[in-house]
Amino acid sequence: MFIVSFLRVIKFSIQDIARNIWLSIATIMILILALFSVNMLLTVDLVSKAAIESIRNKIDVNLYINPSADENAILALKAEISNINQVKDVTYISKDEAMNIFQQRHQNNPEILEALRELGENPLTPALVIKPKNIDQYDSLINALNAIDNPIIQSRNFEDHKALLEKVNNISHKVSEAGLIISGIFILITLLVVYNAIRVAIYTHRKEIGIMRLVGASNWFVRAPFLFSSVIYAFIGVLAIILIFYPFLSLLQPYLEAFFIDYQINLISFFNSHFLYIFGLEFLGAVAINGIASLIAVGKYSRV
Amino acid sequence: MIRLQNVTKIYHPDIKALNKVNLHIRPGEFVSIVGQSGTGKTTLVKTLIGEEKVSGGKVIVGGWDITRIGQSEIPVLRRQIGVVFQDFKLLPKKTLFENVSFALQVCGYPVKKIKSIVPQVMKIVGLEGKMNRYPQEVSGGEQQRTVIARSLVHRPKILLADEPTGNLDSINTNEIIDLLLKINKFGTTVVLVTHNREVVNQLRKRVITVENGIIVSDQAVGKYVL
Repeated sequence: MFIVSFLRVIKFSIQDIARNIWLSIATIMILILALFSVNMLLTVDLVSKAAIESIRNKIDVNLYINPSADENAILALKAEISNINQVKDVTYISKDEAMNIFQQRHQNNPEILEALRELGENPLTPALVIKPKNIDQYDSLINALNAIDNPIIQSRNFEDHKALLEKVNNISHKVSEAGLIISGIFILITLLVVYNAIRVAIYTHRKEIGIMRLVGASNWFVRAPFLFSSVIYAFIGVLAIILIFYPFLSLLQPYLEAFFIDYQINLISFFNSHFLYIFGLEFLGAVAINGIASLIAVGKYSRV
Repeated sequence: MIRLQNVTKIYHPDIKALNKVNLHIRPGEFVSIVGQSGTGKTTLVKTLIGEEKVSGGKVIVGGWDITRIGQSEIPVLRRQIGVVFQDFKLLPKKTLFENVSFALQVCGYPVKKIKSIVPQVMKIVGLEGKMNRYPQEVSGGEQQRTVIARSLVHRPKILLADEPTGNLDSINTNEIIDLLLKINKFGTTVVLVTHNREVVNQLRKRVITVENGIIVSDQAVGKYVL
C-alpha cells in the first residue's frame, strides 16, 4: 500500500510541475543561479589557494657570498643556516652554476649575453638560496639570518615577499566574502521563489486538496506531492549545473594554465575527483532549502 | 451511531452556531435535519466530520469520541463517513469513473481493487453506462449521484448529505432522495440536512428542527414545521 501511495505521490508531483510549467522553469532557473554562484565561490577559493601556494613556493631568501670565499667556509655556513629552525632547505649555487642559470634565463636576449662575453670573466657571485619552512615565520627567519655575522657574506637579499602574500590573501578573502554574499542572496531568492511556486501550486490544486481531505486522504498524502516537487526541482537544478559548469570550467582552464605557468592547477580534475562530494552536498543543500520553503508553504496553505 | 452531548460551537467573537445541542441518531436511521439558513445545520455536519472543533460538549461517532480528535486521526474518521455537499465538488478534468476512483487512489488502494469497487458503486447510483463521461457532459443530478458514489467507496456506516438537492430541479431531487433511501435500506445511517419542505414531508422519517443553534423539535415521523 505504501509503494502504491508513493508512486501516486510521484505521479501527482509530476502533474503539479507540468501544470505550472513556467513557474517550475523559473524556480529551477533561480536554483541554477544559486548553485552556479556556490560553484563559482568554490572555484575562486581553489584558484586563490593555488595562487597563494604558487607564491609560497617561489618565496626564498638569497645570501650572496664573497667570490673569493673558501668552499669549506661556504659549506660550513650552509650547515649553520640549515640548523636554523625556520629553514626548510638551503641550496648552494656556485659561481659557475649561477652563470649557467643566468645564461639559460637570458638565452633569448643576445645583447645581454654579448655584454657578458665582453666582460671576459664571470661577474656573478656564489649564493645560498634558503627556503623557509613556514611563510608565517618569515620575520623570525630574517632576524636569524641577520644575526649571522660571517665575513664571507657579501650581501643579503631579503625582499618583502610576505607583503605580496598578504595582498593575495586579502584579495582572495574579499572575493570569497563577496561570493558568499552573492550566494546568500541567491539562496534567499531561491527560498522565496520555491515558497511562492509551491503556494501557487497549492492554489491551483485547492479543489483537489479539498476533495482529498473530504474523502480521507492522509495529511502525508496531501502534502507529499508538493514536497516531492521540491526534490525534483533540486535534482533538475543540480543536473543542470553539472551540464553548465563543466563546459564553463573547460573554457576557464586554458587561462588558468597560462596564468600559473610553474604551478599545476586543473579545475576539471578537481571537480571530477570530488564529484560526489561537491554535487551530492549541493543536491542535499538544495533539497534542504527547497524542503524548508515547501514545508512552510504547505503548512500554511494546504489547509483547504 | 451518532451522539451529541451538550455540544456548543461559538464563532469569534460571540456567535453561538450550536447551543447545548443533545442528539442521538441510532444505526440505520434516516434523519432529516431542517432549519433555515444560518441556523447551525452545516456547523453540525462540520463537527461530525472533524472540520470544526466544538467549543463545549462531546461528539461521539460510532462509539468514538471525536471531540478532541487529532489531525492525524481525521482521515480515519472521514473514511467512515460519506459526505455529500450542495456544490458537487467534482474535478472537471477527470471522468466520472476517475472522480470516484480518486477517493480510493488518494487513500492508497491498489488499482485492481479500485477497478473492482468503482463499477459496483457506479451501478448502485445508476451511472454504470456513463462512467467515461466528464462532469460537464452529464446533468446536475448525475453529477450529484457521482458524488454519492464517491462517498460510498469506503463503505461508510454514515452518509451525511448537506443540501444535496440544493442545486437540482424537482425530478433530479426526487432521484437523489430515492437513491439516499436505497442506500439507507442497505443499512447505512443517512443524515440529510435540507430546507426543502416538500422533500422532508414526503419522506415521513425522523425530522430534527434546528433554530438559532438549538434543537427546537425532534419528531420520529415528522414534517417540516418552520
